[in-house]
Formats: sequence, structure tokens, C-alpha cells
Amino acid sequence: MFESRSPRVTVEGFEGPLDLLLELIEDQRLDVLTVRLGDLADAYLTRVRGLVELPAEEVASFLLIASRLVLIKARSILPQATTEELASADADEAELRQRLLEYQAVRERATALRARLDQGQRVYHREGGSPVELPPRGGDSGALAAAWQKVLALARTAREPELVTPGERYSVEERAIEIEELLQAREAVSFSTLLLERPTLRFAIVTFLAILDLFRRGVIDLDQEALFDDITIKRRGVGQTSE
Amino acid sequence: MNELRSAIEAVLFVAEKPVTVGELVRATGARPREVEQALAALEELRGSSGLRLQRDGDAWRLVTSPESARAVTAYLGADRLRISHAALETLSVIAYRQPATRADVESIRGVNCDQTVETLLARRLIEEVGRAERPGRPILYGTTWEFLECFGLSSIDELPRVLTPEGERLDESAPREFAEPIE
Repeated sequence: MFESRSPRVTVEGFEGPLDLLLELIEDQRLDVLTVRLGDLADAYLTRVRGLVELPAEEVASFLLIASRLVLIKARSILPQATTEELASADADEAELRQRLLEYQAVRERATALRARLDQGQRVYHREGGSPVELPPRGGDSGALAAAWQKVLALARTAREPELVTPGERYSVEERAIEIEELLQAREAVSFSTLLLERPTLRFAIVTFLAILDLFRRGVIDLDQEALFDDITIKRRGVGQTSE
Repeated sequence: MNELRSAIEAVLFVAEKPVTVGELVRATGARPREVEQALAALEELRGSSGLRLQRDGDAWRLVTSPESARAVTAYLGADRLRISHAALETLSVIAYRQPATRADVESIRGVNCDQTVETLLARRLIEEVGRAERPGRPILYGTTWEFLECFGLSSIDELPRVLTPEGERLDESAPREFAEPIE
């Protein structure tokens, strides 16, 4: 499934001409180093003939090895061979043997790698690619404590009216219009000032959402000097108001 | 020394990608030689833990130990790598001979390797590492971090050794620059 288009000889599971030759040697329990390759010519040709479904583009490479085997065999059995011819036959055989040895090593390495895969002893790196979360710059526990104090102070003043009027309703739209009108009169106002009007939690939330909405619409600019500091709300240039 | 070792370990922990010795030198202010020594010490120290150091060239990173693979695999729900024998053969030629060209692989395997090379590239087990200085300037391939990971290797030096029939270590006698293709 993972490699359906790879070139390979399917019928008997050989990967290629060298693989086939190596199988032949190993089947007969011969040693690559000492086997007389010419003796394998007949057996090789028989096996190639057996590979009926050999892909056309692979036939040539099989025939090439087969023809070399036949040539080696022919030279070795010709009685009238000159020393030159014999030397050439030896060189040819030695070269093919070298290739077989190299291929044998590759096959063994592939087997060794397969063994590692089968052991399942792979390793992993830390996944994700996102950096370790860094706290925002400038934050310190003192500022956080101060902010918490403000919230507590707000909560203290807020408790009473909230108990009295549990059903209070503010709409973000209304609050946005209020803030916009306020900013017509004065250019800037701080968030804490806006909250003073009705210091309840719900009012604070609605006010905050209204500010976000105004900012989104480009009506106001927001400025905060430092983390947890008060937010200054400024009117953006005249004529940029909504509608 | 211990301090430097711990600092390097910490940097490797937060690093998103392999960290070079040069980057460690800049981060710690130590000398390259000291960093190398600390890395070696760290490597030894990590031997008994669930994390290991992995090296490719002069870049380092922290990885899980091969021994803890089962648990990590189960936790991540990762799939085991499936790879055909043909692709493994091509991979082994490239891994042991790297950098290697397609022609190198083909001359050894005796078959066309285009598909297996494509597969290995797609799996990010190999990558292009340059071009050979020979006619046609063929692409040179080498293995990747993913390769080291999949096979649980700390570095390329840890590739399984294969012995010749005479007990000779093939891997060491293998020429670095591969001969011209035969034929």
C-alpha cells in the first residue's frame, strides 16, 4: 500500500537482478566469495524464464546480468582461450562478484534497519513547534497585587447596590453611545472614571465590552502605560465616529 | 561545569529545533570546547533517564529514550513506520554512504530507484544535501532527523554494524566518495 508503484519484480519476490542472483547462491548454500559465477548461468536463465510477469523495463537489467554470466561461463570453458581472454574473464567475474558483495552488504544493512524498526525503539522530540509560553513583559507580582486590591475595593462598593437592584440591565449599545457622547464633551477619560458611575460588576463588564466595540469601530483609541494600569480612552479624530 | 551542563540541558529543553554548538556558545557565554565537554557529560548523564541527546553534525537536541518508546508511542497514538524492503535497501545505501546520488544507489541495487527515493523524500527520511561535483551535478542525498528518530539512533555513528563474512567491519572500510557507476 505504501509503495505500489515502486519498480520491483513481483512474481517471486525478487527486488532485482542482483537480488535474484544472490538468492540463487544462497539457495545452494554457496559463498559469494568463492562461487564460480559462470556455473550459475543456466540456473539464472531458468529463474529469469520463470519470471513470467517481469515488467518490460526490468527485463533488460535481468538479461544484462544473464548475458554476463553466460559470457563468464563461455570464456572459462573455451579450451583455446588465450591468457588475455582468461584474464579478461577473471576481471569480469571479479567485478560482478564485487557488485554482489556490495549488494549483499546493503541487503544485510536493510535487514538490520528493519530489525531496529521492528523493535519499535524509536525516539521522539518535543512536539508542537510552539515556544514555551512566556509571561508578558513587565508583569510583576506587585502590579498584580495592586490590581487585585482595586478589584476588591470595587467589589466592596459594588456589593450594596447590586444586592438592592439584582435585575439591573445595561446594554452594550446604550453604554457605547453614552461613552461616545461623553467623549464629545471631553477628549479623554479613564476606564476607572467610567466605572465610578455605577460600580457594579455587570456595569463594568458592559462598559468594557462597549469600549472594545468602540475601539473595533475605530471611534476611540486605547492607551495603557503599563500592565494592569488604568486604561485611557481617547476620542479618535473628529469625523471618524460611527454610523 | 555542572552549571554549564544544566544550562545547556535547559536550552535544549525549550528549543523548538536542533541547537548548534555555536548557538549554545552564544547562549551560555562559555567557550566552544567547554560546551562540547558539557554536552558529552550531559550525554552520559542522560543515559539513565527517559531523555537522550541526539546529534546530527554539530546540532543537538533532546529526544525521548528508545527504551521509553512504547509508552510515548501509546501516549501520542503514533503509527509505526511502514516501509517496503526496496525502500529500506535504498535507505540503507544512502544512510551508510551519505551523501549519495541516485546513480550510486542504482549501481549498487541494480534496479531503478526513482520511486523509492521519492518515497523516502516524501517520508522525510532523506533530504537533498547538495550536488556532486561531477558531470550533470547529480543531487546528493543524506538522512534526516526523522531518520534518526524512526530508527532510535543518537547519531549516524550509531547505525547498526554489519560484518562481512570475514568479520571485517564493512562500514568502516566503505569509501566515503563513491566510485563511478559500473558499466
